[in-house]
Amino acid sequence: MTNILVVADIKQGVLKGSTAELLSKARALGAATAAVAVGSNVADLAPQLAAAGSDTQYIADDPSLEIFSAAPFAAAVVEAAKAFSADMVWFGFSETGKAAAPRVAAQLTAACATEIIDVTIDGDAVHIVRPAIANKVLQKVKINVPKLVAVVRAGAFEADPEATGTENVVTLDPPEKDMAAVVKELISDASGEIDLADADIVVSVGRGAKDQAGVDLVKDLADDLAAGFGSSRAMVDAGLMAHNKQVGQTGKIVAPSLYVAVGISGAIQHLAGMNGAKVILAVNKDPEAPIFNVADFGIVGDLFDVVPLLKEEIKKIRA
Amino acid sequence: MKILTTVKKVVDVELNIHVENGAIVEKGLQYVINAWDENAVEAAVQLKEAHKAETTLVSLGSTDNTDIIRKCYAMGIDNAIHIDDPALAKADSPTFAKVLQKVYEAGDYDLVIAGKQAQDTDAGQAGIMLGEFLGIPCVSNVIEIKVTDDTHIQVSRLGDAGTEIVDVTLPAVVTVSDSINEPRLPAMRGIMMAKKKKITVMDLAGLGTSFEEIGGTAPASEIVEFLPTQKRKGGQKFEGDPAEITAKVVQLLVNEAKVL
Repeated sequence: MTNILVVADIKQGVLKGSTAELLSKARALGAATAAVAVGSNVADLAPQLAAAGSDTQYIADDPSLEIFSAAPFAAAVVEAAKAFSADMVWFGFSETGKAAAPRVAAQLTAACATEIIDVTIDGDAVHIVRPAIANKVLQKVKINVPKLVAVVRAGAFEADPEATGTENVVTLDPPEKDMAAVVKELISDASGEIDLADADIVVSVGRGAKDQAGVDLVKDLADDLAAGFGSSRAMVDAGLMAHNKQVGQTGKIVAPSLYVAVGISGAIQHLAGMNGAKVILAVNKDPEAPIFNVADFGIVGDLFDVVPLLKEEIKKIRA
Repeated sequence: MKILTTVKKVVDVELNIHVENGAIVEKGLQYVINAWDENAVEAAVQLKEAHKAETTLVSLGSTDNTDIIRKCYAMGIDNAIHIDDPALAKADSPTFAKVLQKVYEAGDYDLVIAGKQAQDTDAGQAGIMLGEFLGIPCVSNVIEIKVTDDTHIQVSRLGDAGTEIVDVTLPAVVTVSDSINEPRLPAMRGIMMAKKKKITVMDLAGLGTSFEEIGGTAPASEIVEFLPTQKRKGGQKFEGDPAEITAKVVQLLVNEAKVL
C-alpha cells in the first residue's frame, strides 16, 4: 500500500479546494491518506480535512506559523511525512508548495516533481506526467527512488465528494523558527478579493485596456461575474495591475470553468498559465491576435464597446 | 561582497517545438539564455554598481555557452566559469544543485542569485536545493534585494498571502522572479570589452568531482519520454456588429458551453 500525505492548502484560514482534489486522487489510487495542516489556528480544520478525504490529520498549529516561512513549514511537513511513513508528499499548486517541496524532497532524500498533472502507480513503478517548456511538451518521468515529493498543477485532479475520510488527529510539535531568514512583515494582498487559483470564472485584462479606466471597466465585469481578476504581464509591467494578479508561466496557473481574456494578445507565457481552462472567451480588436487560436469563443471588437455589452447581456441572463 | 549567479542555456520557448517518437525534434530549435537567469544577472550587476560587489557567473551545460556568457559579461559580470561536461546533458535538478554546490564551495561567496526556474524544465528546484545542500537560507520568488550591511540583506518575496519582507543572514541563496527587474541591453562598449574577457572552462573532473559523485548516474527521477501537449484549437470567432455578436456569444456560453 502506498502512503500519500497531502499538504493542506490554507489561505487566510480557509481550506482551499485543491486539498480535496489531491486527497480524492490519492484515494482513487488506492493509497492510505493523511493530511498535514501547518499554520496558526489551523487545528479547527481537522474535521474538514477528514471530510476532504484524509484518514489521519497531522496538525502543526502555532502562532509562530502565522506568516509563511519556508524552513519551518518544510520542517513540519517532513515531521508529518516521517510519522506517516509517507511514500509520497503532495502539495497543491501554490507559492507555498513551490518553495517547500524541493526542501522537503532534499530532507527526505526523495525525488521532486513540480507541476505534475498525472501520477500512476503500477506495483513498484511510479511515473508522473508534467508539462515543460512553457507547456509546449509533456514529460513522462520515472521515479527511481522510494519516495516522491510532488507539486500538483492547478486543475489536474477532480474532487470526489464521496471520497471522505475519518478524523484521527495527531498534533505535531511546532517547528523551530528560521533565524537566518526572518520574515519580518507581510504586506497582505487586498482581502475580500476572489482568489484566482480557486475561482470558477477568471477574467483577465491585457494591454488593450490601455489605462486605469480600462482596467476598472474590466474589473467591473469580473465583479459582475463574481470572477477572479487576473492580468497579463504587460499590465503588471505598466504598473496597472499587481504582481500577484499575473497569469502565466511565471505567475499564477489557473484552471477555471471559464477564462475571459480581455484585450490580451496571447503571448506563449500567458497561454501557459491558462490553457487548463475548460472554456476560453477572448475579446480583442485584432482578428489575428494569437489568443483566438486557443479561444473557444472569440469576439473581434474594441473592448471598450464589448465589455459594457457583455455586462448588459450577463445582467439579463442573471435576472 | 562576492556574488555568484547561475545561468543555463535553454531552448527558445517562442519557437514551435515538435515531439516525435517520444523525443523532442532537435531540428530548428534555438538556444538562448534562460530568461529568469538574465534577471539574476541583472540583479547581481545592480548590486555590484550600488555596493561594489564582485560578480561571478557560473554556467552549466554540455553546450557551448560562449555567446550567453559574453552577453552577461557585456551586462557587467566580472568573472565567468563554464562547467562544460557531456554528462550534464542528462542531469536532473538535484544533480545541477550538487554541481553548483561544488562551485560555491570552491569560491568564497556571500550570495548566490539564481533564476527561479529554467524555461526548459519549469522545475524551479535547483536553487532551493542548493540552499538545502549548503545548509544556508534560501528565499525563492524574490522581487527585490536590498543590502542591509556586509552580512545581511533584506528581500521581498511574492508569496500566497502577499509580499513577504525577509531579513536574511548571509551567506544565502535567492531565486528571482522576472518581476525583479528589466535586464539591460548591453551597450556597445560593454559588448566590445566582453569579447576580450577570459572564460574559465572546466569539466566535472576539473571541479574536483565526477558525475557519479554528485549523484548523476543514479538520478532520483528521469524523463522516459516526451509527449505532445494536447493543443487547444480556436473555436468560433465572431466579427460584426458588437451588440449582435456579444449577445450571440453570451447565449452560446449559457446554452452550449454551459459555463454561465
